[in-house]
Amino acid sequence: MKTFEQDKELKQLLKSVKLESPGVDFSAGVMNRVFAEQSALEKAKQQPLFGKGFWVIFSLFVALIIVVVLLSGEGSAVAKVPDFFPGADVDAALSGYRLLLHRLSNLPAGIAGILFGASLLILLENFLETRHHAVR
Amino acid sequence: MEEKDDNYYIEKVIAGQTSYFSYVVEKYQDVVFSIALKVLKNREDAEEMAQESFVKAFKSLHTFQRKAKFSTWLYRITYNTCISETRKKKQYFASTDEVQISDEVEEMNFDGIPAENREKYIKAALAKLQEDEYTLVLLYYFEDQSVEDISKVTGLSGSNVKVKLYRARKKLYVILNEMLKEDVYSIL
Repeated sequence: MKTFEQDKELKQLLKSVKLESPGVDFSAGVMNRVFAEQSALEKAKQQPLFGKGFWVIFSLFVALIIVVVLLSGEGSAVAKVPDFFPGADVDAALSGYRLLLHRLSNLPAGIAGILFGASLLILLENFLETRHHAVR
Repeated sequence: MEEKDDNYYIEKVIAGQTSYFSYVVEKYQDVVFSIALKVLKNREDAEEMAQESFVKAFKSLHTFQRKAKFSTWLYRITYNTCISETRKKKQYFASTDEVQISDEVEEMNFDGIPAENREKYIKAALAKLQEDEYTLVLLYYFEDQSVEDISKVTGLSGSNVKVKLYRARKKLYVILNEMLKEDVYSIL
């Protein structure tokens, strides 16, 4: 018996058979989906890497850092507050702030680590997704 | 009009001229659909998965490295997409009636098959092959793919492809011979 490579007759016979075809609108259907993918890609390219929410949270975080820096420098910025706002009770504000810091410092470091890690992962996912769309 | 090489259209699509992808779809839709139909066994699912395969190919066109033929790459996407779909639906390959292949399968005289019925016979015989055998026969005999390319499409080793092709061809002969005998008996 011939090997399958030598069987030219079978090849010829099989090639004479018409393969099954999909419906007449198959090609149009594929192209519609392809164009939809293309427009989704264009949209993704136009979207900024970081959304509005990110910038709001980031601004709040920066504001918090500024407040912390101002309040921790005792005798500097804090000391000048009564000059600008004569009725302000700076001592009460400072003690409240210290209480908050004290409570925060009592939180287990693990929780802070988890929150930090989760934030990093969300950021990374956002970045990779945008990049993936851009490459496509 | 002169038919361009696949790479010509691929370059155009990558460069942003998406409509050139329709040439690729038109050229390969029958083979892609035939593979999907054999694996999934119904036209509706096969059309959906064939469409899915083309869209997947479009989405990852930039990763096509041109080391293999575009068709090989596309058929691999199709085959894997359809196999994944059957697994998702927990639809296992239902074995077709097992055809007994003896060692002494006689050579086939194709002239014995009436010319007007040849296509009908061949299609019926192909339908009796299992999914993987059909895909191998389709790629090797219809599409002139090499054993190496088929190995890339199916994930089988080269020697395994050869063994399966050998068995599939024998099986085709057995099926065709049986069909011819049945027809002769029915005439008598």
